Amino acid sequence: MPFKKTPQKFSAAIKAVEIGTGDKKTVLGGEGVMPLYSFDGPIENAPKVGVEIVDTGLEGEAKGIQEFYAGCTTPAEMAAKAATMEGADFIALRLESADPNGANASVEDCVATAKAVSEATDLPLVIMGCKNNEKDAQLFDKCSEALAGKNILVLAAKEENYKGVAAAAGLAYNQKIGTESAVDINLAKQLNVLVTQMGVKGENVIMNPGTAAAGYGFEYVVSTLERIRLAALGQDDTTLQMPVITPVASETWGVKESMASEEDMPEWGSRDDRGVDMEVATAVAVLAAGSNAVILRHPQSVATVSKLVKELI
Amino acid sequence: MAKFIVIGERISVTAPSINKAFAERDPEPILTRAKQQLDAGATYLDVNIGPAEKDGVDVMKWAVQLLQGEFDNVPLALDTANMAAIEAGISVYNRAKGKPIVNSADAAGRIGYIDLAGANDAICIALCNGEGIAKDNDERMTYLQTLLERGMMAGMEAEDIWFDPLFLVTKGMQDKQMDILEFIKMISDSGLNSTGGLSNNSNGMPKHIRPIMDSAMVAMAMMQGMTSAIVNPNDLRLMETIKSCDVIKNNTLYADSYLEL
Repeated sequence: MPFKKTPQKFSAAIKAVEIGTGDKKTVLGGEGVMPLYSFDGPIENAPKVGVEIVDTGLEGEAKGIQEFYAGCTTPAEMAAKAATMEGADFIALRLESADPNGANASVEDCVATAKAVSEATDLPLVIMGCKNNEKDAQLFDKCSEALAGKNILVLAAKEENYKGVAAAAGLAYNQKIGTESAVDINLAKQLNVLVTQMGVKGENVIMNPGTAAAGYGFEYVVSTLERIRLAALGQDDTTLQMPVITPVASETWGVKESMASEEDMPEWGSRDDRGVDMEVATAVAVLAAGSNAVILRHPQSVATVSKLVKELI
Repeated sequence: MAKFIVIGERISVTAPSINKAFAERDPEPILTRAKQQLDAGATYLDVNIGPAEKDGVDVMKWAVQLLQGEFDNVPLALDTANMAAIEAGISVYNRAKGKPIVNSADAAGRIGYIDLAGANDAICIALCNGEGIAKDNDERMTYLQTLLERGMMAGMEAEDIWFDPLFLVTKGMQDKQMDILEFIKMISDSGLNSTGGLSNNSNGMPKHIRPIMDSAMVAMAMMQGMTSAIVNPNDLRLMETIKSCDVIKNNTLYADSYLEL
């Protein structure tokens, strides 16, 4: 008997959320099919790849990353360089220097960095914080104000600071806001409910339900992403129909496979190769599970993942 | 599984203010009740214009356009003994948010409503009842088969026939309640959809008791696989029970604010 193809049809769809402005603006989401299932229905907006830049410099980064940015002395110069990376759809600036337990850079300095980065590239901009909830809320507020009209994405509002982030970035400055939970599907939904109850439109929300590096409890990440997508499409759950973004680099470059030096682990081979492998494996896995965008650091990872997306969609 | 579908029952000629509003084509009382029900979580609204022998066609057209115009094409159940009025309602009905529901057919004098639904690509509520009250579930199942076959003949999909077990009043027919619940399980096991006027079970009870009985009944009915009910969505206890059962059945993903959604 001949094979009969039965497309899995949903009447619901993921919201299409635009970030950036002008020619380089980009759209996340919009599809009404399971991840990468372009054989079931059209995927008008293929998954996007962003390049992460950290404002504390390149110390400790893998050789391939350092070489790529050779000669760059500021995050703005790095952003201009990153924009030339093959397959880069957006820039993600991580304001690590703001961490009160680290360099504790002032909000004003961080805003100046964000402005300089924004001026150095016409790619859409994602602003990531330093993982200190209180400081991040201030950063997102002031960066949203300084970059008004640029349609940036702030990553992200969490359970602890969503009120401030939604009120400032989402409502006062009309930027896109991320909602972040740490692989907790009920909290992922709850945060979307809370920010939309505050008046932020669902069309202005992108969710980061969390990730892990491949091999580090990753099954739980996959089932969370899939359950979100099935609820959004199969149960028409409007509180979960936001596109998903996954900051991959900040997870994968923190595990031993990517960090251990070649001197310490000669039998593991090139650190660049290991780091890229971890980044690519994790990125591809979250894309297959339901993410609409990944944030990566190594130029080789960006090129590899964007090529894969291009050939699949 | 899909979420339990709540059909709001409060736009009905049995309410004197609504009866008057239909007669005088006064939008305000109807829109007020519609909004209250939708805010409370109703998916469909039932529009019961009564026998409407004289001006049913005009009233139903007017009501459909009024409600769909005001509430973004809200899906409706068209409820009247006047078949021409149902067809007239469907002729002006916008399907963007869901097919119209024909309310309702039975296996006796009203079996023609199935044909009407089939001819108009509508959903039909099919009461598993003939003349008088069915004596047991074998008899109910016979009516179900009759209605299902009639629907197939009319070109309907089985999923568009929502079988109504006919809820019976507990005061007086207490011994029949488990039969009804078992019949819901039989409908569900056949892969078919179900609905019904669930609050009939608490008819005649004191006002403060009814939400408690209705909530218990809906929870037990959902456990048996019931997929919809025609109820008062402004009964908070009932709606909280339905939403909680939807979570337990994994029909909706839990979030701390689930009762507000």
